[in-house]
Amino acid sequence: MSTDWNSGVWPDWCPGCGNFGIFTALKGALSDLGISREKLVLVSGIGCSGKIPHFVKVPGVHTLHGRAIPFATGIKASNPNLKVLVHGGDGDLLGIGMGHLIAMGRRNPEILVVIHNNGVYGLTKGQASPTLQLGRKTKSLAFPNINSAVNPILLGIASGYTFLARSYAYDIEHLKACLKQGISHGGAGILEVIQPCPTWNNIVTMDWVEKNTYYLKDWDPVVKDDEDAVRKAQGIIGLESGEKKALGTILIDRRKEAFGKRIASIYKHYDAEPPAAQQVERNGTALPIDLEKTFPRFFIQ
Amino acid sequence: MRMNTRARGTKTKMGLNFIIGGAQGGGIETAGLLAVKALAMHGLEVFADREYHSNIKGKHSYSHIRASEERIRSIKYPVDLIGALDVETIATHYKDLKPGGVLIHDAALLDKPITKLPPMEKERLERLKAELEKEDIGNTVREFDKWLERNGRIVLPFPFSVIITEKAKLASPMIERAMNTAMTTLLLRAAGMPFATILEAVDALFMEKVEAKELNKAVANAVNDGFNEFSGNRNLGTEIIGKKRSARGKKMLVAGNDAVAIGKLIGGLRLQTYYPITPAADESFVIEQHSSLFDLKGEIVGSPIVIQAEDEISAICMAIGGALTGVRAATCTSGPGFSLMVEGIGWAGMNEVPVVITYYQRGGPSTGLPTRHSQSDLLFAINSGHGEFSRIVLASGSHEEAIDDAIKCMNLAERYQVPVIHLLDKGIANCVTTINPPVFGKIERGKLTEKGAWDYRRFAFDGDPVSPRAFLGDELMWYTGDEHDELGHISEDPENRRKMYEKRMAKREKILKEAPDEDKAVLFGDENFEDLLVTWGVTTGAAVDSLPELQTAGSKTAILQVRMMEPFPVDFVSKFISKANRVISLEANYIGQLAELIGWNTGFRIKNRILKYTGRLITQDEVVKSYMRILGGEEKIVLMGGE
Repeated sequence: MSTDWNSGVWPDWCPGCGNFGIFTALKGALSDLGISREKLVLVSGIGCSGKIPHFVKVPGVHTLHGRAIPFATGIKASNPNLKVLVHGGDGDLLGIGMGHLIAMGRRNPEILVVIHNNGVYGLTKGQASPTLQLGRKTKSLAFPNINSAVNPILLGIASGYTFLARSYAYDIEHLKACLKQGISHGGAGILEVIQPCPTWNNIVTMDWVEKNTYYLKDWDPVVKDDEDAVRKAQGIIGLESGEKKALGTILIDRRKEAFGKRIASIYKHYDAEPPAAQQVERNGTALPIDLEKTFPRFFIQ
Repeated sequence: MRMNTRARGTKTKMGLNFIIGGAQGGGIETAGLLAVKALAMHGLEVFADREYHSNIKGKHSYSHIRASEERIRSIKYPVDLIGALDVETIATHYKDLKPGGVLIHDAALLDKPITKLPPMEKERLERLKAELEKEDIGNTVREFDKWLERNGRIVLPFPFSVIITEKAKLASPMIERAMNTAMTTLLLRAAGMPFATILEAVDALFMEKVEAKELNKAVANAVNDGFNEFSGNRNLGTEIIGKKRSARGKKMLVAGNDAVAIGKLIGGLRLQTYYPITPAADESFVIEQHSSLFDLKGEIVGSPIVIQAEDEISAICMAIGGALTGVRAATCTSGPGFSLMVEGIGWAGMNEVPVVITYYQRGGPSTGLPTRHSQSDLLFAINSGHGEFSRIVLASGSHEEAIDDAIKCMNLAERYQVPVIHLLDKGIANCVTTINPPVFGKIERGKLTEKGAWDYRRFAFDGDPVSPRAFLGDELMWYTGDEHDELGHISEDPENRRKMYEKRMAKREKILKEAPDEDKAVLFGDENFEDLLVTWGVTTGAAVDSLPELQTAGSKTAILQVRMMEPFPVDFVSKFISKANRVISLEANYIGQLAELIGWNTGFRIKNRILKYTGRLITQDEVVKSYMRILGGEEKIVLMGGE
């Protein structure tokens, strides 16, 4: 069965942009997963990556710079039956929107965040992004970068994410597998996609990626217990301290409750009727709420 | 148009007006609530202001409470009684006491120095010292009391500490914890409240907190016994509270935060997001605490969720996300938080998202006066955001309106698919008052599409600026902050740009055309007015309460409360403005923001402005006095009342 996932809008990325790889892998993952298109929502930030929802034939919410995660969190909490994906760039999610990325890890909603990591702010012509290494000078920069790079995987560990993976925009099959795993994971996930920007990033080229990445082998990402969680965290720090970037699924922790469960632990009605399933009126008037029963402390006896 | 209030008869009505103050964190809020509760249970109408510093423990805090047989909407000076839990309260409020009024404090304070007040603001302390020196008052509370008595006030140094330890058998470290109830009991007894009602109020206030309830009852009993012995042969002249009035129907006692929360819940709110900020956060607490909505059979008919976001940017974006799924979603904040929300509100404007932002103004700019009143964000609320888009800004002027408007704002948001800013102020947020329970009104969800409609276009051009809405999960749709086509895809085409721009902006006319008059502005007083006071927000209450006095002082006087600030009801407001001989604006800001807004829209320049920006409420007596001064020829008046 092949679904047409193309919206018909012309993708206006530069020729050779890593976003095409992500676009292709995403469509493949959606086909494989067999999700009904209305039940999926792509939420994106601002920048080249932020345009991706317009090209895919599923509901898309192209939000504000850095704010895709709060939009997605509001959508998912209101209607937990929707599958929600966030797409954003490294500047968007790790720069202006980093606070939300951390907050999302703490909440653990069933949302996969796909970080299109190309090391630059592409749509504004190549400024240094939070993942550009210290001392590097891409072609738009007048001077070498004077800020250290942030590592989204380590940030993910520190923030409580329960799924962490890294892939490469031009390895469609690998990326597709990571996307499927991340979309099916029942909690907050970060999928960092190393993505060449042929227009502005003359450092992270295909050749560079070839030389500076490797595929994880004999690495079990699944956390078994508390002790194992500590070992994994230490192991991941080890992995991420290496010269080369590891590609593959880095962490799967199914022990933590997802945000929906946490909400349901407070609001007992949530599982039966989440906000989007609830009525708010009957025949055009407010529901017959018994005010004295609902708000006893505000009534004068 | 509603004609809410006429000049009252000359018959003197019972009116109790008092202050209870002490150090923050010393139970002063509970003291105020207990008093207010008891007065309401006695069948009286109540209005109480709570003034506090941005501080948890130690700084001066007080409740200013009025009770009457008739509805009250403001505070007024001077007061009949002051209950001082500490020396700072005496030193801060002694000038607020009317001649013949009574100051009550613990006899244990008598030998304390009156100027040794580390928590007091240094400017305030300097003024106090200057006053003491000028009047040659002395330096102890005892000397101060004598001076007050020489000046026609009654001072009642009551042995609270002794009574609490001896009669209530509390250990002395407990005295401080019990002083609030002790003082309230004495104040109310001194004012003629039957003791039984005070006990009932303690029950109602502490509800299931059995231990606290018993402790407070023991204290109340001890103070009551002490009061009976103490005042047996003394005429305090404070027998103000009359017999219990039988209630005409059920009454509620709410702060503005409570009122909005209740309104939102009746109105179908299902997602509330917020980031903690004064004076808005209590609203979200109330929603959380009452998130199970019961019907008459005790079954749950609705259950909203509340999410505490990581910041206000997230709060508005989460609410918008919720709204896209078809949920009635709202957030609440004050100035600093609203500043952060602005970009999100623009996105909601661009994408025609029904979302409600409850905006409680406080003193600005920046952190400003975090716990104090202000009406200085009107022009900001109207103009916030870059670019142009339709929005509604509706300003409530009372607690009852706050409930109704909270429901209305959600209806308006969905009917017109625009962000709606429900504009309130700290005055409404924190003042507590008695109200009639709300009447349930209409719920309007606006234009919705049939589920499963193929070829759905979220922003369809079909003649009406409001396109049928579908929710995420039902149809294929796209949203973007970029200019977009009917499907929601990015488009920079000039023709599409013009059409989509005009579709969004055309909502302003549609809203104005369809809005009922009472949502635009409300006139109080003589329809054939000569002088017109224009005002808004909580200040409306002070104006309306003073109307009988204004009408006695002036020629024909009326008050126009403006409610819809955006889109501005130019024609409706002009009708009143053009009829007046003199227009006076009355508001809590520096510029006269409502006056300016009227000027922009009508071309009429309001010369007379009564303004206040100290962070304290505009009081009834201030309205009367400043109106007299305007009659005497003054153009602009800046008010200073209140501590």
